[in-house]
Amino acid sequence: MISEPIVKFSFWLNGSAKYKQVKTFFFNILQNPDYPYKKYLDSLMIFLILTSVGILVYEVRNPVPPWMDTYDIYVVSIIFLIEYLLRFWVHDDLHKTIIREYEQAQFLHKPFSLAIPFKEVFKQKIKYITSPSAIIDLLAILPAYRPLRILRIFVLFRVFKLLRYTKSINQFVDVLATKRFELFTLLFLLLFITATAGIAIYVFEETQNPNITTLFDAFYWALVTISTVGYGDISPVTQEGKAVSMLIIVSGIAMISFVTSVIVSAFSEKLDELKESRIIEELNRNDAFIIICGYGQMTKMFLRQEKELKDDYVIIDNDPQKVKQAIKDGYKAINEDASRHDVISKFNLEYRNITILSLTNSDIENVYITLNAKSLSRKIRVIARASDESIKRKLELAGADHVLLPGSVANMMLLTSINQPVMYNGIHAILTGKNVAHMDEVSVWKHAELMGKKIEEINFKSYKILFIGIQKGVEGEFIFNPSQDIVLEENDILLMMGLKISIEYFKESYQRSRL
Amino acid sequence: MKKSAFVFGYGKRGSSFAKGLKKDDYHLYIIDNDAKLCNTAKEDGYKDVLCLDITRDEELAQLPVRKKSYIVCVMEDEHLNVFVTLSLRALFPQAEIVAISDSIHVTQKLKMAGASKVIDLYQVSANRIHNILRKPMATKLLDSFVSDGYDISFREMQIPPNSYLDGMMVDDVNFSTDGVLLIGMIDIELSHKFIFITSGIEHKLDSGDTIVCIGYNEDLDSFEEKMKREQVV
Repeated sequence: MISEPIVKFSFWLNGSAKYKQVKTFFFNILQNPDYPYKKYLDSLMIFLILTSVGILVYEVRNPVPPWMDTYDIYVVSIIFLIEYLLRFWVHDDLHKTIIREYEQAQFLHKPFSLAIPFKEVFKQKIKYITSPSAIIDLLAILPAYRPLRILRIFVLFRVFKLLRYTKSINQFVDVLATKRFELFTLLFLLLFITATAGIAIYVFEETQNPNITTLFDAFYWALVTISTVGYGDISPVTQEGKAVSMLIIVSGIAMISFVTSVIVSAFSEKLDELKESRIIEELNRNDAFIIICGYGQMTKMFLRQEKELKDDYVIIDNDPQKVKQAIKDGYKAINEDASRHDVISKFNLEYRNITILSLTNSDIENVYITLNAKSLSRKIRVIARASDESIKRKLELAGADHVLLPGSVANMMLLTSINQPVMYNGIHAILTGKNVAHMDEVSVWKHAELMGKKIEEINFKSYKILFIGIQKGVEGEFIFNPSQDIVLEENDILLMMGLKISIEYFKESYQRSRL
Repeated sequence: MKKSAFVFGYGKRGSSFAKGLKKDDYHLYIIDNDAKLCNTAKEDGYKDVLCLDITRDEELAQLPVRKKSYIVCVMEDEHLNVFVTLSLRALFPQAEIVAISDSIHVTQKLKMAGASKVIDLYQVSANRIHNILRKPMATKLLDSFVSDGYDISFREMQIPPNSYLDGMMVDDVNFSTDGVLLIGMIDIELSHKFIFITSGIEHKLDSGDTIVCIGYNEDLDSFEEKMKREQVV
């Protein structure tokens, strides 16, 4: 029986890690917008499309050199064909359907037939082939067939193909889609008036007007008039015709302004959303970024301190008032609820390093944000704020990597200020990162001056720096006040304290390359 | 005689702070204008709970504030906190007033109102986030300063008379063989200010000076012992 080897082959495919890996790779590069290397394929496709259209335009008035023709026929079209076939392939898994059907048949003790899974997969593939984007893809390949000149015009479908690789056009379509009902109603009304006016002018003027000889002329005139374009190549000559014109001119103006206002309102309704999705898209391009939840005093304080922060952050707050304030203060902010699953999953969780700072002033909210983030991906680093020790424990259970206790720290500072009033200034300076007590880390790089030196050989004193400790290697343990004869190796990190300028000077002279 | 501390405000912050002070054995006065909060304080076992209209100077002037008393302003209402700080400073120019603030603007106002020290609720935390993100090692060390669970801490020590340190320059001393690092000192000659050794001033150590070191607690203990033991005869 034929079905047996096919089932066996399906099981083999299902078990093959290599096959799975290859298919996942092609799926990611074609379909997964979060995949970091997809942009390279997209850029290549856009380049091919633009050159192909460029050749079409150039060809109109100039003879095309043969290499260009070869490029257009073979390179572009074959790449498009490969792309089409790959998309067809990754759209679904035949072998999985066969296995599922086979196992069901085994379970129910009924005879297994290949017809059912094949039919199902066939349906799926047909569904793919008839989807608008697949049709455009196919039509974009057709111009390669030279014997039919008319197929050249299908190069224009290559322009449509651009839609696949650019997001803003999709957004434009999406926005219009929200007003589908209004736009369809207007379109229907337009067709109705055009048809009525067209028939009327045909009836009144067909015999009198030399320009109107067919019904097509009449419809053409009606559409040109109603859209307020008015070429004037056809104009009514009878009283009745002129009366019809006047009517459709008035209704035309009304309709045009109506369409404009519908589109404008669709955009103004979606403007904030568009802006926000743009911010998220831009953020997703960075390798690592920070999501700050809540725009309160703590966030403001943090942002003021964090001057190195460039574009790799976004503030999320569910209070529109606070978001407005944040934008006014010059920060990137979006109005969303960070504890919601779909909000966080908009970010590229799989391929980027994301840190979430949950700094809202509600403990419940912070716990929820932490849980939500950790349930989406264990990779997300969460730093959350808590008001007391019991909440701290809850946050740690929820998976927070670091918990901040502003209240208890302030409490400790208050007690220090009373019990050890003189030392208070010192501790305060260190904990708040004041210039005089700047704590910094210096990494040992390959080929840097520091490599291979013993600690005693480094003159920290002359830089007015206090050497505190060292971490050996990337994941090594921190050694406080290590012995003087430890030799520095690559990836060691030195912890030191001093004036900011001292440390910068130290870095300048010791971190630079020996080469 | 016990030192006395006056805590203004028994809200969320005030209550947890008072708990901390209770451990350290102060004569505590708790003052609030909210009768409900005063009752809570009494229920929590504080003896000297005063329910005053703190906006009236006559009532504040009755308080037994002495020169060395501590006043802590942790009212829940930010405006009231600034107002009380200002009134207290006017009434008791010598007292040490510590206030808590939750933003830069309030910090500035409290300082202008005469608070000796202002603790910003979020400044330390903001710096900690910065460290977590950029300097993981510094974070570990700083965490150990603020919590009791770690071994490395700060300690201030007084140089005993006739110490071997007497007369040495700050630049020449090296305690790292004893396992402690000299981080700064409190200079009695120079207005009791904390000076970091990294600020690079030339200074001679004298008996009676207070030095501040960091290190493991046991090393700090033995270093302190050593300093007392080793005297120049």
